[in-house]
Amino acid sequence: MTIWDILKYKIAGIEIEAILKFIGAILIIVIVAKVVRINIRRGLKDKLPDATVKNFEKFAYYIIIIIGFVASLSIIGISLSGLLVAGGILGIVIGFASQTVVSNLLSGIFLVIERPIGIGDAVRIEDVDGIVEEIKILSTTIRTWDGIYARFPNEKVFTSKIYNYYSSPVRRFEYKIGIRYSDDANKAIDIIKRVLEEHPFVLKQPEPIVFVDELGESSVNLSVRIWAPSAVWFSVKTEMLWKIKVALEKEGIQIPFPQRVIWMAK
Amino acid sequence: MATSSGKQINMFGVYGLNLKIEEGDIKIELAGDGKEKNYFRKVGDESVEKKIYADRGEIIVSPVPPVNLPVNVSNHLMIEFDKSIFIEPGVEQKIFIKFPLEIGVFLSDEKDVEPFDIFTKTKLKYTLYGRPEDGFVCRWWKSEVYEKIPSIEKLYEGVIELKIKNNYNEWTEINKIVFNTINMKIFYKDYAYCSANLEIVKKSIGKTYFNEKIEGMKGAVDLYLAKSRKLGISLVKEIEKEFFMERGFK
Repeated sequence: MTIWDILKYKIAGIEIEAILKFIGAILIIVIVAKVVRINIRRGLKDKLPDATVKNFEKFAYYIIIIIGFVASLSIIGISLSGLLVAGGILGIVIGFASQTVVSNLLSGIFLVIERPIGIGDAVRIEDVDGIVEEIKILSTTIRTWDGIYARFPNEKVFTSKIYNYYSSPVRRFEYKIGIRYSDDANKAIDIIKRVLEEHPFVLKQPEPIVFVDELGESSVNLSVRIWAPSAVWFSVKTEMLWKIKVALEKEGIQIPFPQRVIWMAK
Repeated sequence: MATSSGKQINMFGVYGLNLKIEEGDIKIELAGDGKEKNYFRKVGDESVEKKIYADRGEIIVSPVPPVNLPVNVSNHLMIEFDKSIFIEPGVEQKIFIKFPLEIGVFLSDEKDVEPFDIFTKTKLKYTLYGRPEDGFVCRWWKSEVYEKIPSIEKLYEGVIELKIKNNYNEWTEINKIVFNTINMKIFYKDYAYCSANLEIVKKSIGKTYFNEKIEGMKGAVDLYLAKSRKLGISLVKEIEKEFFMERGFK
């Protein structure tokens, strides 16, 4: 008996040669799936959280295995037409049942590709402000400023208006400061500029702007516009207003209370 | 004055676990019996105290890239020149400028180098290079331009030897330079020194980079490698040798 005869020998109606080809095809598919998995892991590990990367790599791995396995069945003579009919019907049923899941999944993929937000960004999504904690394959988690975790389905994130406060390296904020009509506005502006110059994170460029913005009912209102690095923007904002107030008062310039002049008829 | 079991008697260098350095208004002291040591550092009005438990190891005092204080928000350094310089096409010119000094104190043994205190005597100020939507936050410093190594206050500033080469076919005006400090190679003897290059490649575009060796000087501790080791991550991918100034020199 030659090797050729052995290869032509049938087990359960399938030639050994076909079985060996099938096993070879499965091995190649597994190797390809593993290579894809490793490349996905290496490509995404610095860009996404571990959990999301694992989800992606598992998804890709099993999809390749399933498609490869089904495609290889024809080698051992199993017809795909029956499977396709059954699969088609099952697909329609599953499709209807998992519309939302698929929508979230696709939105998650587009979020990763388009990257409107990243882990650690300060964002506003649907009137919820906070830090992006996780971008998973189906959902995104935001930690609000008061420490509450809000989970958004990715479809919602993708279709919402997103404000990303960290996508620019710098951010501007503004104070309105009122001084008395009797105070020298130019002197007040000089004092404020001096205070701003002393702070490391009040940026040199774009230069802070201080100007008389409005002649109000009870005060001359100065506008102070400051640029700071986005990473420390909030701490600079909370720090500077009081420093300006203290510096102005030290120089005799006061922030007035609301007041009204009443003329009495004689 | 610096006294210790150190191998070098000046501010920068390697010291044993008992040290006392006094230079101007900087005071660094590490003292204690046995494994327990008390670290004390004072610069001007600011002082820091820490405890260290060790019986081997060394202390390294070294200049570090000036982007760590008050907190690290940037890895870029912008040095603005006090007056503009103009470079003719094809001309190569060496100038000297000063950079602000930050001093790092590191704990070290055979396996690890750990930064545990960084201080400066310089005024801290940051700026933006480029546009608010896609620019770079930079530590800002202003320097005069010198033709030869200037005299410096060695605990306040360092010197950058800057080779400017105009490879573009037009005269170019420069009044600032931006570096990526991740690859900032600082050297020292008794003061900090860097050797850097600016190659003007197009109108308003140039690349800056640091040279990796200077004869006769000792290399400063690489703060980024020390940090990456601490975090257990590799910075190899992040280290770019060159920074492209794409937003001009003015």
